[in-house]
Amino acid sequence: MTGWKGPALSAPVTLWLLLAFAAPLAVVILLSLQAGGDPFASLIQPLSLAQFAEIAGDGFYFQVLNETILIGLATTAISAVLGYPLAYWLARMPVQWRALAFAVILIPLLTNVVVRSLGVMLLLSPDGLINSALRLVGLPTANRMLFTHGAVVVGLAQVFMPFMVIALYDTMQSTSPRIHEAAESLGAGPAVRFLTVDLPLSLPGLRSGTVIVFLMSTTAYVSATLLGGKKVMTIGMLVMQEAVANLNAPLASALAIVVTIAGLIFAGLCTWGLNRAMPWRAGKPGESLSLPGWFVALAEALGPTLARLLLAASIGLLLLPLCLVVVQSVNDVPLATAAGFRGFTWKWYEQVLFGGSYTASFLVSLQLAVVSVLVALVLATPAAFALARYPFAGRGALLAFWLLPLSLPQIVIGVGMLKLLQIYVAIPAFLGLVGIHVVVILPFVIALLTTSVQALDRAQEEAADSLGAGPIRRFLLVTLPALAPGLFAAGVIGFLMSFGEVTVTSFLTTARMTTLPVRIYSEATTLEPTAHAISALLIVATVLTLWLVGRVVRLDKLYAR
Amino acid sequence: MTPSRRTFNKLVLGAGLTAPVHFITPVRAQPKKGDELVVGIWGGAQERIVREHVEKPLVEKYGCKVSYVLGNTLERRARAYAERGRPSFDVIYLNIYESREALQAKVTQAPSKAVPQYEHLYEPAKIGGYGVAFNPCTIVYDGRKAKKPVTSWKDIWNDEWKGRVSWPEGLGTEGIAALMMTARTFGGTEKDFDMVIQKVKQLKPFAAIHSSQVQLYDMFDQGICDIGVEFASFTRKYAETKNPNIVIADPVEGQAISMNVGCITEGTRNQVLAEEWINLHLSEPCMLAFAREIYYSPTVRNITIPADLKGKVLAGDDIAKMVDFDWAYINANRAAWQRKIDREIAG
Repeated sequence: MTGWKGPALSAPVTLWLLLAFAAPLAVVILLSLQAGGDPFASLIQPLSLAQFAEIAGDGFYFQVLNETILIGLATTAISAVLGYPLAYWLARMPVQWRALAFAVILIPLLTNVVVRSLGVMLLLSPDGLINSALRLVGLPTANRMLFTHGAVVVGLAQVFMPFMVIALYDTMQSTSPRIHEAAESLGAGPAVRFLTVDLPLSLPGLRSGTVIVFLMSTTAYVSATLLGGKKVMTIGMLVMQEAVANLNAPLASALAIVVTIAGLIFAGLCTWGLNRAMPWRAGKPGESLSLPGWFVALAEALGPTLARLLLAASIGLLLLPLCLVVVQSVNDVPLATAAGFRGFTWKWYEQVLFGGSYTASFLVSLQLAVVSVLVALVLATPAAFALARYPFAGRGALLAFWLLPLSLPQIVIGVGMLKLLQIYVAIPAFLGLVGIHVVVILPFVIALLTTSVQALDRAQEEAADSLGAGPIRRFLLVTLPALAPGLFAAGVIGFLMSFGEVTVTSFLTTARMTTLPVRIYSEATTLEPTAHAISALLIVATVLTLWLVGRVVRLDKLYAR
Repeated sequence: MTPSRRTFNKLVLGAGLTAPVHFITPVRAQPKKGDELVVGIWGGAQERIVREHVEKPLVEKYGCKVSYVLGNTLERRARAYAERGRPSFDVIYLNIYESREALQAKVTQAPSKAVPQYEHLYEPAKIGGYGVAFNPCTIVYDGRKAKKPVTSWKDIWNDEWKGRVSWPEGLGTEGIAALMMTARTFGGTEKDFDMVIQKVKQLKPFAAIHSSQVQLYDMFDQGICDIGVEFASFTRKYAETKNPNIVIADPVEGQAISMNVGCITEGTRNQVLAEEWINLHLSEPCMLAFAREIYYSPTVRNITIPADLKGKVLAGDDIAKMVDFDWAYINANRAAWQRKIDREIAG
């Protein structure tokens, strides 16, 4: 009987998520049901719907929610439009180049959000790259791009588009080349083939990507704050303002819950709508699609050029801000966000490498990432075995719970954990941070390790059994070495995610324990380009790490289901 | 010798009775070598000056270590509130209203004579903590873009500045100054906030909303805005070193008071170091370094302002000329005001 093994192996990760994820979530729900007022009030108070009544009765909140949803929709649409050609390009890339090409999305994805937003600022500033290029070719400049809704959408698309690309790539790369051959043999050109074959088959990926990009962009506050210049207001910013500036955790919690519910409604609608567009997945025949002749001719004529332009735009959006960060790191300007090259200097690197003022934050980030990754690996490895080898009743529901931190706004977890740490003062701040970081990286680590466990050669384990090795000896000498590349890859990705995390971490750091990305964010509006020097060093470190990981596992498999 | 049961009971009772004293009086343990003092302060020149004129002598005397948490006051204030009674900060710098609120909430300590320089503080600098710099706010603008010099706060509403104003964000120091001076200028008081909101709304659309002085200066440099409300001190430095076109107005209604306040947290483990830190900040070398480098006006009487700084920083009777406000009323209404600002001014 091995029926107990699945639940037993699933228990550690479930317990961790109950403590570090479900508990803060419950706290947020409790806080949202407080009448509010005293920042030092205890958690258990008479239940009240006052916060929700205030939100419902005030058109301002509706307006900001509306604005947030529109920003989320625009970000999702841009991510899809630019993400398709990039995912298609990656899926069609020869295998030997695919790992390198995948770095196009992995490098930005693993670079912290503050730095990427600062890079977008340098792109859109009056003296930024776009206007400099316009001046160069003698065209009129656009001096009002920054601090607008458009700037926020561009920044959010830069930050979240990689998730869309990964979701699309995941489905596109599994499309058999024979289907393409069949379409071509029936006379379809590249554009028609994309519209009638690749697009419909990629709808499951579009569904996942749309849901995740929308949920993340509607709860983001870092990019919106930096790129909206306080002229754009989102719910994420209001949550942060109520929690931090007004010390009003009940209202912050209620707002977080409202935006979460709005996001989940959108996710439900989106799933329902796209499922209806894929009747064949439910075993029903799809409606036949006939494209007008003029449209086919137009699509075939313009399609390839348009696709190349969109591909260039998507790669540009992902990489240009990072290039600008590197350039700014040697720019002799007084302020991190001051655009325009005013002279070469190494002084920002000197301050970072020899001044020592960022060393403490760097070390905190390093320790936090290392501990979080080790804990995540210890929890995720048995969970991966449970998923891959020991099916049990309720496994689907449990998996959904494990992946829930991906789809619920991290800002909610941050507010809840902050209050928990205020109440349970005996919990060291570092432990609170580890708890949350493990929650943030667990979905990725579990997904990666499950793929690795599924790929293990069971014959080797059976051979060890037949030679008399016990379960522990077999695990240590056969299974673990075979799993090492997967553990290494999951560890590196987890490390990079933890090292760059800002959204939740900024709620929980203390004076003696501030991480590097949080420090960069908190000083963002008064920063010198030392922030860019650190970021450039981190980008180089990320590239080198990915190169190292790429030698062990195929990088495109890091995010595969 | 083994204590008798009665003696033991007396000892336990005595310990029990005196234990609460530890909760209500600061721990005055003498600093040890290697102790770490955590200071929350603004970055840039402020960090540089305290490193030179406060940290150095403190470390020389005690062999301690000083760590800084840089950034704006909002985040360090939120952290200090979340950690009330078990602070990770020892000294935090706040603005006027934040310092008074934090003192009331028992997050920070009241100023006391344990800091020797306390006795020499000007009266406004003795409230909410230890005032370490007067730093009035006023209108600053690009002189090339002005048809005539700005002489009144009302001038911001002149058509020539339409769409070129950068308004200071929310209820930060500059934000409060701009809002309260609007009230005074148009015949109101702190209690006429709705009128203030209506007046400020007339300035929309703003060219930008700035959250720091460096952000405003960068926007001046890039031509995004032409006029704003900022600290006279930093702006003087910026005008002298980077942008000579910038003018600091001296409006007939006056310049708005603002003050940086050094606060020692309740429950700090480094009481003596924290007091010594504040005292060194209030010392003549540090005060003059601030005055010389960023034109911060000293908050203590017992220093001599050098001739070359006279007229550039405030001293003596100038202190009373700054326009002061009803901070208790402002604090009591901050949350409601913030909501009005979010709805009517921001966005």
